[in-house]
Amino acid sequence: MEGLAGYILRRLLFLPLTLLVVSFATFYITRWGPGDPISVYSGQYRDPEAFARVRHKYGLDKPIIEQYGIYMKGLLLHGDLGESYRYRDRTIPEVLRPKIWVSVRLGLYAFILTFLIGIPTGVFAAVKQGSWLDPFVISVFLFFQSIPVLVTVPMLVLLFAAKLHWLPAGGFDGLFSTSMIIPTLALSLGGIAGVARLARATTLGTLGEDFVRTARAKGLDEFTVIGRHVVRNSVVPVMTTLIGLSVVGLLEGALFTETLLGIPGVGLFLYESVKGRDYNVILASVLLVTTAFVIANLVVDLALIVIDPRVRDSGGSVRA
Amino acid sequence: MSNRLTLAIAGVAAVLIIVLAVVLILVVGGGGGGDKKTVADGGSSTPAAPAAKTSSPAASGELRLRGSDPLVLDPAVAEDAGSAAYIVEIFSGLVRLDKDLKLQPDVAERWEVSADGLTYTFHLNKNATFQDGRPVTTDDVKYSWERALNPDTGSITAENFLGDIVGAKDVSRGRATEISGLKIIDDLTLSVTLDAPKPYFLYKLTYPTGFLVDQRQIKANPKRWTQQPNGTGPYKLAKWKLGEQLVLQSYDNNVLGAPKLKTVTYDLSGGSALVDYEDGNIDLTGVGLDDLDRVQDPNDKLNKEYVQTPNEAIDYIGFNTNVKPFDDPKVRQAFAMAVDRKKIAEVVLKGAIPVANGILMPGVPGYTQDDKTYAYDPQKAKQLLAESKYAGNMPEITLAESGAGATVGPTTEAIVQNWKDNLGVDVKIQQAEDATFFSDLDQGRYQMFHIGWVMDYPDPEDLLDILFYSTSRQNNSRYSNPDIDKKLEAARTEQDTEKRLAIYRDVEKQLVQDAAWIPMFFETTHALVKPYVKGFEFPPMIIERFRDVEVNR
Repeated sequence: MEGLAGYILRRLLFLPLTLLVVSFATFYITRWGPGDPISVYSGQYRDPEAFARVRHKYGLDKPIIEQYGIYMKGLLLHGDLGESYRYRDRTIPEVLRPKIWVSVRLGLYAFILTFLIGIPTGVFAAVKQGSWLDPFVISVFLFFQSIPVLVTVPMLVLLFAAKLHWLPAGGFDGLFSTSMIIPTLALSLGGIAGVARLARATTLGTLGEDFVRTARAKGLDEFTVIGRHVVRNSVVPVMTTLIGLSVVGLLEGALFTETLLGIPGVGLFLYESVKGRDYNVILASVLLVTTAFVIANLVVDLALIVIDPRVRDSGGSVRA
Repeated sequence: MSNRLTLAIAGVAAVLIIVLAVVLILVVGGGGGGDKKTVADGGSSTPAAPAAKTSSPAASGELRLRGSDPLVLDPAVAEDAGSAAYIVEIFSGLVRLDKDLKLQPDVAERWEVSADGLTYTFHLNKNATFQDGRPVTTDDVKYSWERALNPDTGSITAENFLGDIVGAKDVSRGRATEISGLKIIDDLTLSVTLDAPKPYFLYKLTYPTGFLVDQRQIKANPKRWTQQPNGTGPYKLAKWKLGEQLVLQSYDNNVLGAPKLKTVTYDLSGGSALVDYEDGNIDLTGVGLDDLDRVQDPNDKLNKEYVQTPNEAIDYIGFNTNVKPFDDPKVRQAFAMAVDRKKIAEVVLKGAIPVANGILMPGVPGYTQDDKTYAYDPQKAKQLLAESKYAGNMPEITLAESGAGATVGPTTEAIVQNWKDNLGVDVKIQQAEDATFFSDLDQGRYQMFHIGWVMDYPDPEDLLDILFYSTSRQNNSRYSNPDIDKKLEAARTEQDTEKRLAIYRDVEKQLVQDAAWIPMFFETTHALVKPYVKGFEFPPMIIERFRDVEVNR
């Protein structure tokens, strides 16, 4: 598998390049925008001269390009992510760690729910091909997919919290609590259609295979044919392909969901850090998310290579 | 395809969804049903729930409350109220404020002021120690203050609170490393010379910037010492796990005696504080506007535990008196008279917050009970506007407010509606996130702004001089009035307290008459405290508050 190793290496070499471009853009844009951390945290103490002194202390009065050089030097030579201007007692990894944990867990919940609903829906639609039920079930979830999380969250809150009083309207009572249900739903609803459609397509493909005909010919009942032969052979590609794409969607959705509902994950933290102009924390969060994104995509491609030799031979360019 | 198969697949999907729902509900501890109030029942008993909620119910002398992670525990640099609430327990200074906002000895047991009001001689209490047991000496005071002022420390507030000492500004501007006006006489005596006889100097020392820090600790661990700070206050930081729990443990050798309350446990994990309070997981909590109706209802069981305390803080509408149309006092007065603050307080704020009767709030020396503000008078307001130089050619007006993305606050909406109804003026509302809001405010880019002021120490100087003296850096209103300036200057050094407060009363009256502001509301804390918590009061400012509390759960 020498070709594979080379392929992985080539892909991994792009990671630093991606990170470099992302870091520069983030660094520049955040510092270029209005306001700065010193001015925000001083609250009602509006002393421009004191601001200038503290800016100087942190080197924020230097040209942005020079600040970037200093930052990258610290990062590359010492692995130093810089200081948080907000949490000045802590290092950035220390502050980020508990937030990552919350986000990962929320993502995992949403992920499981997406597949638990998406795959049966897709298989059902495939089996029902030709009847009105096929386009109907897919359309229902396409409808949800077309609504941005920004809208889904308030709608769910309106329904389950304001009208029905079943669930809390927001806040966070720990990872095992009712306060996690709305965010989990909000995050998964948009992704179900994608999973369902892919599951439908692969199931349709599998239904036409010889072994299915053989299974039927053996006299197996439909339930066993679908459950054991079709689903098993169509679900694996769905899982692998969509895991990566879902990670991306979840990261994106988490920003809004966490912010709107007050879930203390990376998304909310990133939002707060942007509001507080906590430059280095913004950058660290963005780099983290970028790395997760790139690695997720890489894992998907590798999984596809392992599953499907055609992809391997074509150099990994085939994507679902 | 058979019907049976369709049913089977639909069944599998349904079962999966139901199983998931059941798992979620089980995990939550069966709290899924019922109404909002009980929804989180039992969530706290799940083993995986944050450790903060598992404290033993039998424990006494422990107060449990909600909190959020402090941003920074270094008293020299903390600027936010959230961090200050912890700092005032862990650290202390030469003097302190008691519950009635009166000055009291702390690390300094007594002090003398020279006849000219310029020199303060402090005598430290020989029993004053840091929490590791090391006695406090005057050298620690010198170190703490010079460190706070040193530009390398990065304090925004140091010059504000320590800058009255001769030579302090040389340190803060990097021209010196030692405060020339601070003299160590012996281990327990030091004298401080001020640049002018400022009677409010001692008040400034009650603010965290002037608190004492342990130089040995900071020199040994300059970056991360605040994770286990060695202060002189009544409570030690025993534990701080980000996003989970913060524990304060009493320091029994505190110079003012051992605190009665031994442990204060903050749950930092977030969630609905009111639910946690009702479940008995925390002993006190603040109450938001949304829940006020409930706790104020005499039939609700929480009503007996409801308390409210005034804060030394005011909410106001500020004008940029330099720009159109608010450079004309008549326009400002018209705007002030056109706002029905009483009705807004009653309807929008549910009567929870008192209408401001002036600029100074109750509890600040110089406060008077009479109403100094313009009464609601739409007729007069219209008339004034017609007399103003902008009658008939009113420029576009925008009211700026901090807060991004969210809906405009109902109070602001009501105010703007008042102006539209009573003056026929359409005022736009511009919301900006904090960073942009403050940056634009500093640069005088707003015509008018809805904002607040929180007192740092109970002296009128902390508001009137800082916000209205024409060349003050914090004069957001760009207010300039030579007569007011002269009075503020006189009040700074007036040694006779009564005369001094009389000047401030006069200034306040003049400012309100000139409609430099529209004072809106005095801020109030609404809270619930369990009946077994004795001796707890929400202080009107951020000062130490746990020492005398007893918890008999």
